[in-house]
Amino acid sequence: MTTEELEALLAAQPMSLLQRLAQGRVHRHVRLGKRHLIDALLRHASVNRAGLESDLQALMQRDASAGHRRTSGPPARHRGRPPQAERHPAKSSESEPAEPATDLSALLEGIGVPPPQPFFPDPWQEEALSRLTTTDVIVSVPTGSGKTYVAIEAARRAIEADRTVIYTSPLKALSNTKFTEFTRIFGADRVGILTGDRRDNPQAPLLIMTTEILRNLLYDAAGGEIDVRLDTLGLVIMDESQYLADPERGVVWEETIVFCPTQARLLLLSASIGNPEEVAAWLTSIRPTACHLVRHHRRSVPLRAGYLHPNGKLVPLFRSVGIPHSHGGSLHPEAKRLFAQYEDETLRPRSTSRRVS
Amino acid sequence: MPPSIHPVDLIGALRHKRLTPAIVFLTSRRACDDAMQAFQRSHTALAPERQQAITSVLDQLIVQYPSIGEHPLLPTVTRVGVAAHHAGHLPSWKIAIEELMRQGCLDAVFATTTLAAGVDFPARTVVLTQSSVRKTRDFTEFTISEVQQLAGRAGRRGKDLVGFAVVTPSPYIDLTVITKGLTGHPEPIDSQFVIAYPMVLNLLKAHPLEQIQAILARSFAQFQLNRRAETLEGKLDAVHVQMEPYGPRVCTDWISQWQVFEQARKQKAHRIQVRHREPPELAARLHFLTPGRVVGLPKGRGLVLRQYRSRGQRSPMVTILRPGGAVAECQASTVTQVFDRSFEVAEAPVYPWCTPSSLEELIRQMSELPVRIPTLPILTEDGEKDIAESQIAQTLNDEFPCPTCPSRPACQKDHAQALRLRQEVHRHTKTIQALRTGLWHRFQARAEVLQQFGYLTPTCHLTDEGEWARLIRIDHSLLITELIRAEAFSGIEPQILAGVMATIAHDDDRPGAFPRISPGLGSLLGQVRQLADSLAPHEDPPLLRADVAALTERWVGDPALTWIGLCRATTMAEGDIYRLLARTLEYLSQVHTLRATHPGLADTASQAIKVLRRGVLEELP
Ligand SMILES: Nc1ncnc2c1ncn2[C@@H]1O[C@H](COP(=O)(O)OP(=O)(O)O)[C@@H](O)[C@H]1O
Repeated sequence: MTTEELEALLAAQPMSLLQRLAQGRVHRHVRLGKRHLIDALLRHASVNRAGLESDLQALMQRDASAGHRRTSGPPARHRGRPPQAERHPAKSSESEPAEPATDLSALLEGIGVPPPQPFFPDPWQEEALSRLTTTDVIVSVPTGSGKTYVAIEAARRAIEADRTVIYTSPLKALSNTKFTEFTRIFGADRVGILTGDRRDNPQAPLLIMTTEILRNLLYDAAGGEIDVRLDTLGLVIMDESQYLADPERGVVWEETIVFCPTQARLLLLSASIGNPEEVAAWLTSIRPTACHLVRHHRRSVPLRAGYLHPNGKLVPLFRSVGIPHSHGGSLHPEAKRLFAQYEDETLRPRSTSRRVS
Repeated sequence: MPPSIHPVDLIGALRHKRLTPAIVFLTSRRACDDAMQAFQRSHTALAPERQQAITSVLDQLIVQYPSIGEHPLLPTVTRVGVAAHHAGHLPSWKIAIEELMRQGCLDAVFATTTLAAGVDFPARTVVLTQSSVRKTRDFTEFTISEVQQLAGRAGRRGKDLVGFAVVTPSPYIDLTVITKGLTGHPEPIDSQFVIAYPMVLNLLKAHPLEQIQAILARSFAQFQLNRRAETLEGKLDAVHVQMEPYGPRVCTDWISQWQVFEQARKQKAHRIQVRHREPPELAARLHFLTPGRVVGLPKGRGLVLRQYRSRGQRSPMVTILRPGGAVAECQASTVTQVFDRSFEVAEAPVYPWCTPSSLEELIRQMSELPVRIPTLPILTEDGEKDIAESQIAQTLNDEFPCPTCPSRPACQKDHAQALRLRQEVHRHTKTIQALRTGLWHRFQARAEVLQQFGYLTPTCHLTDEGEWARLIRIDHSLLITELIRAEAFSGIEPQILAGVMATIAHDDDRPGAFPRISPGLGSLLGQVRQLADSLAPHEDPPLLRADVAALTERWVGDPALTWIGLCRATTMAEGDIYRLLARTLEYLSQVHTLRATHPGLADTASQAIKVLRRGVLEELP
């Protein structure tokens, strides 16, 4: 083999192979880019050409046969390397539990559309609604559980009792979506929207606005100027209440809650947060009634997790079909292997993989 | 960063496994747009009936939001059933994509993670390609709550039996952040209470000053601070119990007494050591370079932790604590100034020569040092050294009863522990006080500024100026009210007012180009900038970008200008222009609320609002 031929052959190999070839030959080989790595290998070849060439042939053969064995999954974009488990047989069996890891077919089993079912409110939805008749309520449940149903039902009951309802969202865009949705449910004459520069149907019993707008209304009311029907206000629904912790705008949620008229009930709807009981205790300490907390962690549609390798191969992310409750050692061995391979190939040692551009 | 897998292959793989519809979260708009371009070039196409379904949903929406019909990506979305959804798009376009997702017409949406709550539609699968999110300028790792907010969109109730979170790597993903996010419990939330000027004015409008502290006490902030204070009070009680054996002895405050005695003794020791060696100025200084002394060095300040003389080294050395907490050794002769300030140090025999808690306390105390501290006048002793030394030895015996006190052995033994406990009490007491009263002090500091500017009377009642200024409840309120008081807006045209409000409102530093600006607006911006700079000690200045001012001026100044014409005039994304103008509208309507006191200005604002709100800005409330 001439040096040019050797160089061309090296250039045609994937990084992972070059890296293995460089082990013991090139100092700090994991830090080098492909071009530099090849140069370094060629420099080394001037010392022991034969050894390098034979190792290269051996590695190429091993990869070729490994590639044949792995035929599942869509066509590969990247050339693979032999599974890591083969190289470190002892390592992978060490820390993992004895239970066998799940496989892709189990992960994907049961995908589909459920048969249509009559609507029955969940117990937690019922609980929130019934408690709301006497106290403030904070709901902290996973995304997608059905908080909107609680908002709508609560609003309906308050409107029927001739009370005004204010519904706040953190974003103007969300206000618009809810305006459309609530108008469809309650009818255009019953729903109004207030923004910084516009008021549509401000005398309607259900008013939608951002939290800032409500805070400003409460400022005005406290200063003696009332222009919306705050006197008949029966219910304030604050959606996405986890915004309480927003660095810039969280204070507006606090002010709104602190200044919220005592005769109105508060309904705080929040995604899962870590300390809803603390928020509830706060409300209890400043509001006329004890705040009732409704919380649960169970997702209404079970969640599973997968790992999709850049070559298109999908494997389970965890050893179990569902999401485990603690994360130590629960990664699926195949996902672990593929991800390690990905990191190797992109030449980013684990310690620096967090760095961002 | 785009994911490592090609977007078309990604969606192909998901389709193949029946994992669509999917939301693919990417960190940048750019990555979303690139993904769309890849689809535009690809030959994939939906079955005709599915394309038809998309068209009919869009046709209905276009009636309400005409701008959707003009979107350049409309044909691609219809053909491939994949769309992008991010802040660079118009709200109407995002509404269209959301509606298509809700109706199950699309296979995938590429969305940015910057506003998880903004992506208010579910899918069967959520694809995560990143473990960090861009916040203002830096990338921050996802919290558990954030991962769950994103993954929570997977699995539509009533439409899916199961949902999927699929992780696919990109160059900057950290898998553990995501697995921790999926498996962990969401973090507790903390109050982010800040006291802004409008809050102070509006509170004082409605309540007398005496009631304010009680109102602030009702905040979640104070609730959480109280909980921390209570925990500390528990600790403080425990320390008090520990301190019981160290109560009054022969002298009531024996701890301080012993401390001073020790220090004096050490100074004496140094005096004896340094005899005849150092130049007189240094020798004089050495007496004061005792642990706890604040000194000036060629580069900034430091605090002496110990003075020593290393073997074989003739010159005296000091160990110095630097303000950030670094500990350095240097020659005593490098000390440039000896300040008249010294802190208590619980000394320790090994590095860093004081106890860890003492070190922590010293670092805190140093951070709170005022800019100016008087230096110690130090007399050079010259030939009278020996006499001076014997004098000191004499004083030591005269002034301190310790050497002959019966309690001496007990004091000597207990001093270190007693001092440590006393410092702990001190620290806890101070922290508890800060926790209990911090909010109130912050309120008072704000109120003082408002008094200084004449919005509040010395008794904290609203002045005439304060009465109207409280109606401006947006960011940079002080700048806006001060501009109004300086009559910067008197007699200006609506488009100039709009331009100024736009530049104050716009807080995004994404670059955009628009060079032309009218001379009138240009010179007014100069005035705004000057005022903003002078207010900087009291209020963070806005970005004050000239390009957004010019763009807004153009839109308001030329009612015939179309949206497309406006977009062509800048490199800003449509969504950003929309947000700029929407925020400007909000600011203008705040100015409009001043009609009772500033009718002319309010009228100009109202004219600007009328022209501003046209075209796409009229589509949504
Ligand atoms: N009790 C229920 N039974 C069946 N489906 C429900 C129930 N409650 C809500 N849903 C559906 O769940 C989906 C998610 O609800 P939504 O209110 O948007 O969730 P989130 O809690 O995130 O606000 C909606 O499609 C809704 O119709």
